[in-house]
Amino acid sequence: MKGFLKNFIILVLILPLLIMFLWSIVNSWPWPYILPQDISFRAFLYIFEPSTKIFRILINSILLSAIVTFFTLLISLPAAKALAFYDFKGKSLVKVLLLLPLIVPILSVAMGIHLSFIRLGIANTYLGVILIHVIPGIPYGVKILLNVFELNGNKMEFQARTLGASKLQVLRYITLPMIMPGLIVAGSIIYISSFTQYFITFLIGGGKIVTYSMVLFPFIESGDRTMASALSVIFVINIGIVLYISEKLVGNIYKNSSKYFV
Amino acid sequence: MGRIIKYFMPYILLLPVLLLIVFIFIAGIIFGALQSLGYFPAIGLKTFTLKYYKYIFKDPNFFSSLKFSLYTSFVSSFLAVVVGVLLAYFLLANSKKDLGFYNVYKIPIIVPHTVAALLVFVLFSQSGWIARILYRLGFIHNMTEFYPLVFDSKGIGVILAYIWKGAPFITLITYDILKKINDSYSKVALNLGANSFQVFWYVLLPLALPTILSGFIIIFAFSFGAFEIPYLLGPSNPKALPVLAYIYYKSIDLFERPYGMVINMCITFYSLIMVVLYVLVFQLIKKYKI
Repeated sequence: MKGFLKNFIILVLILPLLIMFLWSIVNSWPWPYILPQDISFRAFLYIFEPSTKIFRILINSILLSAIVTFFTLLISLPAAKALAFYDFKGKSLVKVLLLLPLIVPILSVAMGIHLSFIRLGIANTYLGVILIHVIPGIPYGVKILLNVFELNGNKMEFQARTLGASKLQVLRYITLPMIMPGLIVAGSIIYISSFTQYFITFLIGGGKIVTYSMVLFPFIESGDRTMASALSVIFVINIGIVLYISEKLVGNIYKNSSKYFV
Repeated sequence: MGRIIKYFMPYILLLPVLLLIVFIFIAGIIFGALQSLGYFPAIGLKTFTLKYYKYIFKDPNFFSSLKFSLYTSFVSSFLAVVVGVLLAYFLLANSKKDLGFYNVYKIPIIVPHTVAALLVFVLFSQSGWIARILYRLGFIHNMTEFYPLVFDSKGIGVILAYIWKGAPFITLITYDILKKINDSYSKVALNLGANSFQVFWYVLLPLALPTILSGFIIIFAFSFGAFEIPYLLGPSNPKALPVLAYIYYKSIDLFERPYGMVINMCITFYSLIMVVLYVLVFQLIKKYKI
């Protein structure tokens, strides 16, 4: 019974992806065949054909999301530190403010701010898209790093300072190594959040900034199963690689990394 | 001097994040609210009015959209919680033996929502894989006999996609908290004659409930306010609220835009209720020191 249940769960989790993978390598797969009749790699060839620019867009998106991740972590770090080690007026208000983007849909916010972005000249630019992508990442960045700071405390930094280390040395040799697992976990969540955004990129980028999600979307919309599946396979693999690398990095630093998850 | 710096230090550290939250996030909500009230100087609308709200609140399309969004989000989040918690229990029961399985369940979490929509489409549409299996088994004789689960007015395709994405997320946070809950409670209960399901139902689950509830709120609010899945899998009538808002927003006639903003304000209003619940739930968690 238990074995059956386990296999059933695995089937529900994996089967859809398997069918999608099969769709990505067919020439045609008409009703009512359960398995594809004729295999072809035309979709992948099309994706990697330089004239379609899809591969270049993929690389651009990876860079865009990497910048978003770096920037979000950079500003989340001091914020998490302030929340972990200081008591100040308005602390609980700040905590709620930083939580808001986790629950209030970014779509309504993006439509509200769109006009101001146009006025400021940052709509349809990379800067505008990066700024709007940073917002949904902030709650994850701050919350995960806050957990890390609360777990580790600041005694070590304090000791190092007492023993004569400079501020920069403390940051380099104590703080950064200590919070590295948290940075990696938060970073991978922020990266995925940015990489998979469709609507806000489309709205704020105005079609001028094209990310990989925006290449994929119309193929799903029009029901082109082969192209949509091939693009999705690459999409999922890309995220999988990022997560695999980050998990390996965390695993090398700490064995019990999962406690930093939200 | 040092004391003054110390007093202002936390604010300086928070400044970059707060600038972005206030000038993009909060400002976005406020500008949206102003436009919904008819204040939209860019196209010459400068008087505050409630007429857009009145119009939308009289529109039966709006209410069927609101109902559709609330219904699909609630049903999908509720079922995702049930499935996710059961899966967490299942993992806990076999945690020592099976590390491979432990990683497999996380796969849907990393699959983007747009791709999840494609998966549902490929499996559950009338020419999808499930229909083909049923045809082969002789349950149906052509594809139109397969009940339409995608683009259907009951939103089943939308719900399926959100469950597939949401349940593993619930499992992730529940499994983590179940592991953290002190073993001794379970041992006492087992010692007093409870079976392992009773231990789960009466001891572990109540202790994990606030965390599960916070997970429910996150996935409910997300599915209520997201565009991609209902746009790709939902019916053309009724449309989900975010889809409806976008249609008004994107209209070539800029004077339509305030109507879209009214709908956005409704989405924001519901999600702010969720924020209040979320904060209350977290106070519960703190109280019970989980």
